[in-house]
Amino acid sequence: MCWKIVDPKPESAARSIAARLALLFGLVAFVSLSIVGISLQWVLRHELARHQAEQIQGRTEDMRYMLTHGRPDGLATRALAKIEALSPADERNRYWMWSPDPAFIYGQDLQQALDATRGKTGMVDLYVRGRHMKLQAVDLPAQGGRPELRLIVGVDVAPFAQTLRSFRWALMVVTLLGALAMAALGYWVARLGLLPVRRMSEEAHRIAPGNRLQRLDVSALPHELSDLGGSLNAALERLDSAYHQLAAFNDNVAHELRTPLANLIGQTQVALSRERDGVHLREVLQSNLEELERLRSIVADMLFLARAEQGARAQDLVQVSLAAEVAKSLEFMDLLLEEACMQVRVQGDAQAPVQTALFRRALINLLHNAIQHSAAGSQIMVQIETVSQHASVAIVNPGPVIPSEHLPRLFDRFYRIDESRANSGESHGLGLAIVKAVALMHEGQVFASSSQGQTRVGFQVKLNTAVQPLR
Amino acid sequence: MRILIVEDEPKTAEYLRQGLSEQGYAVSVAGDGIDGQHLALHHDFDVIILDVMLPGLDGFALLKSLRALKSTPVLMLTARDSMEDRVRGLQDGADDYLVKPFSFMELLARVQALNRRGRIQEASLLRVGDLQVDLIARRVVRQGQRIDLTAKEFSLLMVLARRQGDILSKTAIAELVWDMNFDSNTNVVEVAIKRLRAKIDTPFERNLLHTIRGMGYVLEDRGSQA
Repeated sequence: MCWKIVDPKPESAARSIAARLALLFGLVAFVSLSIVGISLQWVLRHELARHQAEQIQGRTEDMRYMLTHGRPDGLATRALAKIEALSPADERNRYWMWSPDPAFIYGQDLQQALDATRGKTGMVDLYVRGRHMKLQAVDLPAQGGRPELRLIVGVDVAPFAQTLRSFRWALMVVTLLGALAMAALGYWVARLGLLPVRRMSEEAHRIAPGNRLQRLDVSALPHELSDLGGSLNAALERLDSAYHQLAAFNDNVAHELRTPLANLIGQTQVALSRERDGVHLREVLQSNLEELERLRSIVADMLFLARAEQGARAQDLVQVSLAAEVAKSLEFMDLLLEEACMQVRVQGDAQAPVQTALFRRALINLLHNAIQHSAAGSQIMVQIETVSQHASVAIVNPGPVIPSEHLPRLFDRFYRIDESRANSGESHGLGLAIVKAVALMHEGQVFASSSQGQTRVGFQVKLNTAVQPLR
Repeated sequence: MRILIVEDEPKTAEYLRQGLSEQGYAVSVAGDGIDGQHLALHHDFDVIILDVMLPGLDGFALLKSLRALKSTPVLMLTARDSMEDRVRGLQDGADDYLVKPFSFMELLARVQALNRRGRIQEASLLRVGDLQVDLIARRVVRQGQRIDLTAKEFSLLMVLARRQGDILSKTAIAELVWDMNFDSNTNVVEVAIKRLRAKIDTPFERNLLHTIRGMGYVLEDRGSQA
């Protein structure tokens, strides 16, 4: 086996909508959880700081009350005893006291504490004995028998920092896990939400050239997708119509070519099946030649139409009076008009740049068409008008009203309203298609209308195309 | 009159050779671009019929090398029916072109036109058998009998008489008489010929205006056998 079916990788993040959504969900969760975490941490830090301050404040107030309101005799001893009682052994709360009276002096590392708080009233940091402490100092002026005092209360910040650290870790873990969980959930949700897309794709898979009438079932789709489904169906519709036209067109070409080919083959076989004299053979060859000429003319016209459809534009444009061109074409058709006892009236004129051979060809096809479809002795009218950017030439002839459903298709290749007229010999059903091609090559349109026994068919050429100098 | 055909498709080359030989041309055939170039450069031809798609050296390259040295009239044959090919062919110095499939009559007419180019010696009185066409007085006389023609009938007769003996296709007639140089798919030319024939042939015992079925019309005096 030299080939294998390559399954598109659904898990590839770049390709899969679900994976992409999951990634985005995860990212969003991460960002929002991070914001929440940072805010919470900020609040906690503040609360802890306030708590520290309150602790220091409380202890300070306690001591200050005793030192301010206590009986002066033995105050120093009682104060020191109270401090001892209040100081825990782990030194998380510490007290320092200084006074000119040595009886009130308390606390290890007193000098450092004094240095740190000198001249400061708020909280200060002190690193002592491997601990980080917050201190606050209060000065008590001399009162009664008591000398002036400086009381310093300190709190170890390590427990607070520890709380903060644990909290931070917890937040990081929660944020990461939350983001991951969100991504996983998001993936699941996206898969679930994209189920209709998958269903649609499966349905689209089933549409094959064989059952080209099948369409996506839009009714079952959520309304966000039904628009897309509708557009896809419309695109399929257009493709189908083009496909259908192409198929019909191929049928027509094959049909048009089949008759002359069948004649050629049959006549030649019959001629060769017996000994024939020169006269007979000459006749067969002549008949063959007529069929071959017909084939050649169909092929040439088909090539012409194909070129026009591929965007070929008229070349060697010359600014001419359209009425004069109509007159020349009428001169050519004069004999046919005379035979059919028809009169032609020309109305209006316009100056337009055209490739004269193409323009005349279109006119002659239209005139020929009008002659073929009007009763002998009728009057044909040629109307030349200027409509904004275009000059239009219309042939109006009396004749049976063409049902409106046929009108837009008149200019289709091989289109015949009356199928029985096919293979009528002279025309091979490309006349009006050529008119359309000529209009196209002059950046114009074709038009047809039919009412009250009058048929009006014509084409336009663009007015302001740059005229190229004749080579 | 010498013609060179450069064409690699043997059937095409063969029928062109035969057809043109029978029209009185001395025909040489080259089956590829290299031979064609050699012949075209080393011999003098009156017209060269040159296919575009050739093995060895394509038509455009051959034409270019020819134009560097000579101005022999060239008729290009192309199967690629696109504007670009045509324009390119004409800009490189081709004098005319035909798109395949073309009719032999069309080719013959183009070859004759290329040949005639620049050396028309126009007589003012044309004779076809006992028919006389006076181009200046626009008078037509047969067997001493004056024939009245309309302007278009006269133009048609003039076109046929100028090329008496040459088969003219319907397309060629439409172009020369009405200046309609395309295949119109109408029977205008048939009707016009019918009318002309009614005036110049019907009253007389010998026909001069002949129909060549599938090809066109010719004006010639075929002696008494008709």
